[in-house]
Amino acid sequence: MVRTPGPCRPPPPMTAPSIFCLVKGRLPWKAWIPGRREMKFLYPWTSVILSQAAEKKNDSFDLEELQETDLEEQFVRGHGPGGQATNKTSNCVVLKHIPSGIVVKCHQTRSLEINRKKARDILQEKIDVFYKGQNSDILKQREELERKKQEKRKKARENLERKKLLKEKQLSEEGN
Amino acid sequence: MHKTSIMLRRLLVNVTPFWVHQRGLRTRDMTPGLLVSHWQKVFQDHQIPDAQDSSEILVSHALGAKTFRLIPPALSQRPVSDHQLQRIERMGQQRLQRVPVQYIIEEWDFLDMTLLMRPPVFIPRPETEELVGLVLADGHNLLSSWEPRILEVGCGSGAVSLALLQRLPQRSAPRGTLRVCHLSLRVSSRIENFLNCGFNCSSDIYQVFLFCLFNPSHPPDPPERLRPFGLIDTIVSNPPYIFTSDMSQLDPEIYRYEDHTALDGGPDGMDVIKGILRLAPRLLKQDGDVFLEGDPRHPEMLSQWLTRNPSVQLRLISTVRDFCKKQRFVHLRRS
Repeated sequence: MVRTPGPCRPPPPMTAPSIFCLVKGRLPWKAWIPGRREMKFLYPWTSVILSQAAEKKNDSFDLEELQETDLEEQFVRGHGPGGQATNKTSNCVVLKHIPSGIVVKCHQTRSLEINRKKARDILQEKIDVFYKGQNSDILKQREELERKKQEKRKKARENLERKKLLKEKQLSEEGN
Repeated sequence: MHKTSIMLRRLLVNVTPFWVHQRGLRTRDMTPGLLVSHWQKVFQDHQIPDAQDSSEILVSHALGAKTFRLIPPALSQRPVSDHQLQRIERMGQQRLQRVPVQYIIEEWDFLDMTLLMRPPVFIPRPETEELVGLVLADGHNLLSSWEPRILEVGCGSGAVSLALLQRLPQRSAPRGTLRVCHLSLRVSSRIENFLNCGFNCSSDIYQVFLFCLFNPSHPPDPPERLRPFGLIDTIVSNPPYIFTSDMSQLDPEIYRYEDHTALDGGPDGMDVIKGILRLAPRLLKQDGDVFLEGDPRHPEMLSQWLTRNPSVQLRLISTVRDFCKKQRFVHLRRS
């Protein structure tokens, strides 16, 4: 399933920057059990770890790497002295991809660093869909999942139907 | 009429007006969402910072979730139980006294770990998460060493050490790590954190918990006591670095509830930093690293201090900015 990334098409003109918020309701917390997942740290001192992690990435997709220079990051914690002199609980990250105008907001966890990383992951997926459209691997995978889900549902319904018939048959036999 | 007023007064004796307000609400109908907006308004009216976040976190905590989004849909549509309502009420009252949210719920996240936060343990800040990343990215000695030894000075909740232990190759952890703290008071919360993260209490890392290097009220332990463990690869620390003159301007959450020994760095914010730097050349291996978090003014002051004290054989490798683009971290190396 490994694809080579094709040349990036120029972004279609956009009238207004669109805001995507996370609609995923629940997080798979299991994925974050310590030691089970490679941690990635962020720019600018992350290149070492990032490259290590990239090799181990089990995703079969070959998403375009985000350029940190294309990103504009904002924090809801506001402006203050920072460090020990600040103790805020708001860890919301707003990440904008300047070339496409896509904005992603992430406050899934209570850790700012993890939110920053997750925001980048989500943005990467959004950008992939944005540029590649129907050809995007992510879109394809989502459709595949949806198809499987429906198949499963269909099977379950058929099973139920069959059981129902069997029961009716038994009942009618007992009646006889 | 008389009876009701007596009843009312009885209710009012020990309670604040918020209780009354709460009682006025039809508790049967309070779903988590309504509770969040209710407390958010109360916090806003009392000028509590982070009103929305505080209220969301307290309500979710009472329902057993980490964030408001993580409350299972089944729970978020139903009214909360009386017990949960009382708990939220108690926590809300604490927040109105400006107790930090992390101390109210007694836990907080550091990277992918959830750590116990009981006073007076210092609440780790998001900048310190970046310190861990910096150590792992730039501490080449550490990653290449067969049995790496790390010294963390002033480990607070143990967040940095734990994060490093989990991310270093397995062959090194946990034997190779030393920690130094200066208050035995904080140990209980920290040991629980270590246990929760799956480290074995009987291993020898705990023998060095009670080293006392910089506590003014105790005579310091001589650094020679660290010698039996061998020379150290990396010293990492988030020492107290706030200038004493800035202490009074801190938010009440910090000034009233967090331990000042973890915050106050003396007149120039460098008391403990200088202590670490004087000590480092004696403890470090050749080319061993020192990673420190500090105030944005410190890198400049630090390089001046190093030129004034040539006997301290350390050289400044780099200063690194935090996510707010402030000069926050320094990387020094024994020359």
